[in-house]
Amino acid sequence: MKEQLAELLEVDEVKDSDVLKDFECWDSLTILSIIAWASENYGKTLLAKDVNEAKTVGGLLALLQ
Amino acid sequence: MGYGFGDECRRRFYSTVSMENKACILITGASSGMGREMAVRFSAVCRVILNGRDTKRLEETRQLCTNPAEQLIWQYDLAKVEELESSFAAFMSAHQIRISYFVHCAGFMKTYPLKMVTAGLFQDTFNVNVISGALLIKSLMNRKMNDTALKSVVLISSNISNFGAKAFSVYGASKGAVDALMRSLAVELAPRVRVNSVLPGGVRTAMTEHMYQDQELINRMATAYPLGLGRVGDIYEAVNFLLSDKARWVTGQQFIVDGGRTINITG
Repeated sequence: MKEQLAELLEVDEVKDSDVLKDFECWDSLTILSIIAWASENYGKTLLAKDVNEAKTVGGLLALLQ
Repeated sequence: MGYGFGDECRRRFYSTVSMENKACILITGASSGMGREMAVRFSAVCRVILNGRDTKRLEETRQLCTNPAEQLIWQYDLAKVEELESSFAAFMSAHQIRISYFVHCAGFMKTYPLKMVTAGLFQDTFNVNVISGALLIKSLMNRKMNDTALKSVVLISSNISNFGAKAFSVYGASKGAVDALMRSLAVELAPRVRVNSVLPGGVRTAMTEHMYQDQELINRMATAYPLGLGRVGDIYEAVNFLLSDKARWVTGQQFIVDGGRTINITG
């Protein structure tokens, strides 16, 4: 799961404590990609608001549990 | 107003007593949204062939139609393009009907940014939006299957067809392909069959419902559409005109029905 997220965030690896807004590629399209990824792989329907409020990688992954 | 496709069908209906002679219209994507609305409204004047994936929802549409018992269901997943022609041929043969009008409403839309785009996404999108429509027109042109019954076709495109938007690359490409297909077939099938497309702006349906979960997007849309947000019935009216003999000298055209969204360049 973290590997795929790292791929979407265009980095080698991600940690739970990483702040989403601090990623260089963090923008509306990355948020859309995460929404698509969550729906495709985990059957979760996320809103942009949910992704933004998750704040960190750990927070985001918790939404997919 | 008292004109349009409805009147033509009505004339046929009233001039013939048997159900078999009533004009038939094939509507794909009839299990929900735009296709369902088309099916229900055209059922007042035509015999409707409902296509979709989900038998239960198609049956719901059928029950909403005028004279439900008269309307037919062809359950088939248009993403399966390989067996589409044989399935449709079997359906036509089983029911011994002739289809005069075809509206391709079925749509597959995933708004994925480029980094989520895959070959599979392209294939699924093009299968439903483009290839299935083309193969159905091919079948409807086949004299053994449908005589020379086919008169007019409307493909539901999208106002993205001539423009661009973030995360719309695959869907937009498929709708551009729909319109390219429409133009070439309009030339190839003239003068007997007219082929046009309708390009709706954002209309709230099951396919687009996920986008309307976002109130900010709704507010943005309300300001971008000079005529405000549209309804499924607005699209039906355009389709009705294009199918009718009122549009007898119109073929190969994109009919944009989007409340002025794409001509609005307000900063």
